[in-house]
Amino acid sequence: MEFLKQLAASAAAFFSTVIEFAPKFLPGVQLTLELAFFSILFGMIIGLFVTMMKLSRFKFLRKCMNIYIAIIRGTPLLLQLYFIFYGLPSIGLMINSFPSAVIGLALHNGAYISEIFRGAIESIDYGQGEAARSLGMTKWQATRRVILPQAFKRSVPALGNQFIIAVKDSSLASVITITETMLLARQFGAATFNVFPIYFTAGVYYLIITMGLTKILARIELNLKINER
Amino acid sequence: MIKIKNLHKYFGELEVLKGINLEIEESEVVCLIGSSGSGKSTLLRCINFLETKTEGEIFIDGERVTKKEINRIRQKVGMVFQRFNLFPHMTVLQNVIEGPITVKKMPPKEAERIGLELLDKVNLSDKANEYPAMLSGGQQQRVAIARSLAMEPKVILFDEPTSALDPELVGEVLGVMKDLAKEGRTMVIVTHEMGFAREVADRIVFIHEGLIAEEGSPEEIFETPQHERLKSFLGQIIG
Ligand SMILES: Nc1ncnc2c1ncn2[C@@H]1O[C@H](COP(=O)(O)OP(=O)(O)O)[C@@H](O)[C@H]1O
Ligand SMILES: [Mg+2]
Repeated sequence: MEFLKQLAASAAAFFSTVIEFAPKFLPGVQLTLELAFFSILFGMIIGLFVTMMKLSRFKFLRKCMNIYIAIIRGTPLLLQLYFIFYGLPSIGLMINSFPSAVIGLALHNGAYISEIFRGAIESIDYGQGEAARSLGMTKWQATRRVILPQAFKRSVPALGNQFIIAVKDSSLASVITITETMLLARQFGAATFNVFPIYFTAGVYYLIITMGLTKILARIELNLKINER
Repeated sequence: MIKIKNLHKYFGELEVLKGINLEIEESEVVCLIGSSGSGKSTLLRCINFLETKTEGEIFIDGERVTKKEINRIRQKVGMVFQRFNLFPHMTVLQNVIEGPITVKKMPPKEAERIGLELLDKVNLSDKANEYPAMLSGGQQQRVAIARSLAMEPKVILFDEPTSALDPELVGEVLGVMKDLAKEGRTMVIVTHEMGFAREVADRIVFIHEGLIAEEGSPEEIFETPQHERLKSFLGQIIG
């Protein structure tokens, strides 16, 4: 019986801490959402741009894009953020923490998103391009009118996955002084010595964001599927 | 209409076409027959520059086909594929008018009018707003034919247009092709449908190991084949 009483007491303490700190997380959650939103938005723009460059007939451009992707994929995101925020100032390039984080996260997402687009483009049946070309379309017309619309549709599930990763990766911005959800959790934990309910609360916030995003993406996927077999 | 001079095509070391010479007149219907792997598809694809020839010359409508001019010359050559290759993200009508709108810059209203006429011609006006995935193979192939007609090509190339179809759907596609032949369209058709070839072809060309082994009228080819390979090929296919 003693054991059950203890359990009830610690559960009560747990939930009272959760309830106390849940609202205090809101500014951090807002920052997490902002970081995720901008890093996905700019990541998409970068991803599309890189994909276009990789389709160009200039070998130099294609090479540059491959180097960019190799660097982003081959080094830790943590290092990339440190590099932008702490490294660049030493060559005189000072960027505030929030823009630094957005630049770092967007460059990171952009590389992965361009790889998603590349995979989707390559998955389109060769006959589609041939049918388009045999109507007299230029390579660019065939790409724009026939290949890309299909590839874009096909890339939606993988893009959704990347968006969810982007939400979670935004927590790394905490290492460059941005008080988003994760940094707040660490600060609250250090102040109260009561890390369990606090990390629990932070986790719930992440889950709410990612599950909401999953729902939205599932709806988009469903809308796109309507005409497919 | 088409003139092919000494056409050679290699895939790496493999010589697939070994010097093809072929002339096709306006309004002529030529059927290419031959066993699998003999180079029939490669020949069609070279005419349309979907494969780049290794050696030789191809003239279409009096013009030499060069890489630079290919997009313009391709408008004169329609192609119908074994696997239809309709654009799945466009409706049937959009498939048909895509070429005229994107390539010829035709106003959409006019393209739609022509597109509906063509769909009527292949008996699919009621499917104009469906997506290809909703159609049977035979219907899809008829859309593909309408799509290529929309560019008003001087010649249409067919690469085994009924080979991917269930047997009961073959007839409707061959029927449309017969109508086109009657209109006096220039057509080059790779086919294993010997009855059809015999009925519509002005000339039959037998390809064997990358060369034209024998050619002639359907009567000559089917009644009095000369080449041993042609005899055994016909024996196998007609049974
Ligand atoms: N893209 C390619 N790369 C390499 N070999 C090919 C390619 N396309 C066709 N071939 C080869 O060329 C030969 C002729 O093929 P094809 O023209 O498709 O014959 P057919 O249409 O008469 O069956 C075959 O041996 C085939 O394997
Ligand atoms: Mg073939």
